Amino acid sequence: MNLDAYRIADEPYYRPVGNEIELFAAAYSDRLPVMLKGPTGCGKTRFVEHMAWKLGRALITVACHEDMTASDLAGRFLLAPEGTVWHDGPLTMAVRQGAICYLDEIVEARQDTTVVIHPLTDARRILPLDKKNELVPAHPDFALTISYNPGYQSAVKDLKESTKQRFVAIEFSYPDAATEAAIVVREAGVDEKTASLLVAIGERSRNLRGHGLEEGASTRMLIHAGRLVAAGVDIRSATQSSIVLPITDDLEMRDALTGAVAACLP
Amino acid sequence: MLARAEEEPLKSLERYAAQRGLSPVLRQTIAVLAPRSTPAELDDWAEAGLALIAVNAGAEVMGTYWRMSAQSFSSQGTSEMSAAGYLLAKICRESGSKAAIAVTAQIPIAARAQGLITWLEALLSLAVQAPKSVVLAAENTPRILAGTAIASFGEFVAAGLRASGGQASRQAAFFSLEDPRAGQLLARSSGAITFSDVERASRAFATALWTPPQDVRAVPTGGDPPFRRTALSGPMTRVPEIYAGVPRETAPLLYRATLAHAGAHRRYGKGRFPIGQLKPLQIALVSLVEDARVETLAMRELPGLRHVWGQFHIARSAGAATAPSLMARLARALFDETFEDPDGWIQKGLRLFREAADRIHDPAISRDIGNRLGNDLGQMRIQFNAKDYVVEPIYRDNNLGLWDFGDWQSQQGESVEMEVDAAHVTEAEQTDGDQRNEPDPETEPTVRAHSVVAPQSDPIVATYPEWDRIASIERPDWTSVREITPVLGDPSLVDRQIDREGALRSRISRLVRASKLGRPSRLRRQNDGPELDAEAAIDAGISLRGGLLPDDRVFRRTEQVQRDLGVMVLIDVSRSTADRLPNSTVSVLDVERLALGLLADALSRLGDPFAMQAFTSSGRDDVRVTRMKGFGENYDPTVKARLAGLTPGLSTRLGAAIRHAGMELAPLRTHRKLLLVLTDGEPSDIDVPDPLDLVADARHAIKGLKLKGIDVFGVTLQGAGEDSGDAVFGRARHMPVSRVADLPRRLSDLYFRLARR
Repeated sequence: MNLDAYRIADEPYYRPVGNEIELFAAAYSDRLPVMLKGPTGCGKTRFVEHMAWKLGRALITVACHEDMTASDLAGRFLLAPEGTVWHDGPLTMAVRQGAICYLDEIVEARQDTTVVIHPLTDARRILPLDKKNELVPAHPDFALTISYNPGYQSAVKDLKESTKQRFVAIEFSYPDAATEAAIVVREAGVDEKTASLLVAIGERSRNLRGHGLEEGASTRMLIHAGRLVAAGVDIRSATQSSIVLPITDDLEMRDALTGAVAACLP
Repeated sequence: MLARAEEEPLKSLERYAAQRGLSPVLRQTIAVLAPRSTPAELDDWAEAGLALIAVNAGAEVMGTYWRMSAQSFSSQGTSEMSAAGYLLAKICRESGSKAAIAVTAQIPIAARAQGLITWLEALLSLAVQAPKSVVLAAENTPRILAGTAIASFGEFVAAGLRASGGQASRQAAFFSLEDPRAGQLLARSSGAITFSDVERASRAFATALWTPPQDVRAVPTGGDPPFRRTALSGPMTRVPEIYAGVPRETAPLLYRATLAHAGAHRRYGKGRFPIGQLKPLQIALVSLVEDARVETLAMRELPGLRHVWGQFHIARSAGAATAPSLMARLARALFDETFEDPDGWIQKGLRLFREAADRIHDPAISRDIGNRLGNDLGQMRIQFNAKDYVVEPIYRDNNLGLWDFGDWQSQQGESVEMEVDAAHVTEAEQTDGDQRNEPDPETEPTVRAHSVVAPQSDPIVATYPEWDRIASIERPDWTSVREITPVLGDPSLVDRQIDREGALRSRISRLVRASKLGRPSRLRRQNDGPELDAEAAIDAGISLRGGLLPDDRVFRRTEQVQRDLGVMVLIDVSRSTADRLPNSTVSVLDVERLALGLLADALSRLGDPFAMQAFTSSGRDDVRVTRMKGFGENYDPTVKARLAGLTPGLSTRLGAAIRHAGMELAPLRTHRKLLLVLTDGEPSDIDVPDPLDLVADARHAIKGLKLKGIDVFGVTLQGAGEDSGDAVFGRARHMPVSRVADLPRRLSDLYFRLARR
């Protein structure tokens, strides 16, 4: 199968926060597997797309879920008129043809599923397909990237120590206010004033992290709010429906957050 | 009103005073009143005094009334004092001079509560219907006002009259507040929103604005002087439990405004001002300007705060030029640019503040402007009564936290004492924390005295190794665990406690229902099932063609997840769990018990096997474990009685307790085994000088359990000290709970989150 569908033609917008681009590029030049850590909606996926574009590689993304089996990653035999036919899974495809394989939210997958990536992430760089009795050596362009959102809610779903220690980790967090405002301006198409307001609101909700909220509003949420504003919704309703309502079902927290949002607005 | 047209009322008053030796008091009072009153007002006030004389109020009442007129003048004005005099005269006529004395003595309290006339009118109606109860009602005024707003004082009196059905003895019982119905009525009639009603949302609001979160405590409003304004002391924000007289719908907004103001001080204030030679008036004014300064900065950051605070600035530009009124107007003028006040002094304050706009980040401007305004006010000969001064608007704090008093103690009297009080509280907590970390061997005997049970008869059931941190080896058989026969308490205690938590209980019920349903799971390679498992079928096909024996399990089906989880809850009942929560009679152990009760209730409905143990220790030979519920037992009244019978005492040897719990969990035949450890602080014991040793040992014990397939999860109640929970349990397996009161909810939430898979 051709990888062209997985190539990224136009530059995905990404605004670096620290030295993550250099780190990733250096890791890729040595084909080290990379782990992206950070809260949801802070730009991990976008970053990978940007890097794939920048490095000129195809990007195969797999969203992990708990029903995922090893053959969902590696591939399986399917029945065809002429008999059984092997179909490469997304991981095998990336390994064979030299793409960046991105396993999003890897902790969601069962721990025994994720061990298939072990031989790929050390000096061997091979993918054994035991069903097919084949060893697939990794294409020189192949690289593996995973994302991982730590937190105490993951106590049950955690990566195996043996999996964790194979990766170079890049920590993501929300960008500083000015950078984040610039991102919101660019992505949502609102003016700078609105963007800074939204960022101030986001900061308020992040203050509540661990004090009633699991997570504060992500950059993605702020962008959504900005898009609603750009579409003509007034900022109060926009923040209400894109931040306050989705983020919590707890009435008191909602009330407090609504108050804090109002405090940010003139 | 008495008709004595032939003589001026003041003259008659002076003649009366001279006869009774009250001339100095009268002269002083007139000196206070005269400069701020019109001649007509003063005459009216004198007439009121004559009215009192006419009903034979007696010299004691007259003297007190005059003194109170002078004292409460700054907050009331002459006309109110006259009206009070006439009402007092009527009360005196109905129930005698003894009642009048008792009532007069409480005038300052009613005046400070801004409801002198309503209060007197209510007492008058009482005097008419139940003359003997007036003294009681007057004497208990401070207590009554602690529970109800002064505006509702009349309702309280009317309810009391109805409740006692005209019987003098019952009236006396009611108004002396001995009748429990009086207390209930106060609790209910106040109908006011207390801080605890809105605490969670208000705190969250304040935390959202600025981190770090404030340490907020509610303080009962009763007492003398009443606690009416927030106090900031050190890291603590103490708010009045009730804002008396504030309507229900306003109260939540007021608490928000209060905490936002306190937050603004914390964010934009810079250290405390030295008190120096400042007079109370200057202190008040410097504080007022500082309030305006921090609010201005806060509103630059968060413009919406203007709406949060603005609704409480209700000062009007008209009115008498008394110090409290001028200051409230200045506060409004500095806050609200659209507010216009022609007063020259306020104009000057506004001008100075605007001129300093480019130095607004510097608190020195507050000191400078406040000083200058204070001098002006002094030159205008406007009296300032520091004792009765209450900061306006209502959401602002008393500003004592802004000042470094050093050893300065006078003028401000009680207010300063309050400040000192707060310091004591902090100190006491700190010593508590210290004791927890390093148990003092000298206090040990007393601790023993109220410990769990006389232990020596209880058998040693197991010995465990302990990890030696320095040598990195295990010392074999180092600790001995005794199983203590549980003390039985009253099982209904647990039920009652749980019943009070209606909302939390229904929340947990929802979680139970959701978990019971479970989530569907796809089972592959089954012998039978409604669908073909394509992968298995292909494998079988391949095997057939390859000449191998095919696996005939080629179906798949979907089933509800089988919950297969056993949990042991291990709780710490060491001595520190006897600590009371701030501002309440509830101890940490009470909250732990409630949390455990709720969780046990949920678990028994879920059908998950669970056990509960409590632990404490007194040296390595005496680790005491109380089994409250084994895996085989039902959650029945006996278990509840054991739960109710828990008493705190001794130390926390965490590692040994964890190992012992592990022994019980290990043979359990469930897929997952979970040990939840609930503790309030550092592991410690009397024979271990360095708590780090026990931290290392506990971590080692947890590693051991993990090898046996037992997940250990820690919930720590964070006290004042450093928390070692992360070090013991690991960050991902540790949930710190900073507010003990949140524990029941957080513990249940945690369990359901952990049990999801």
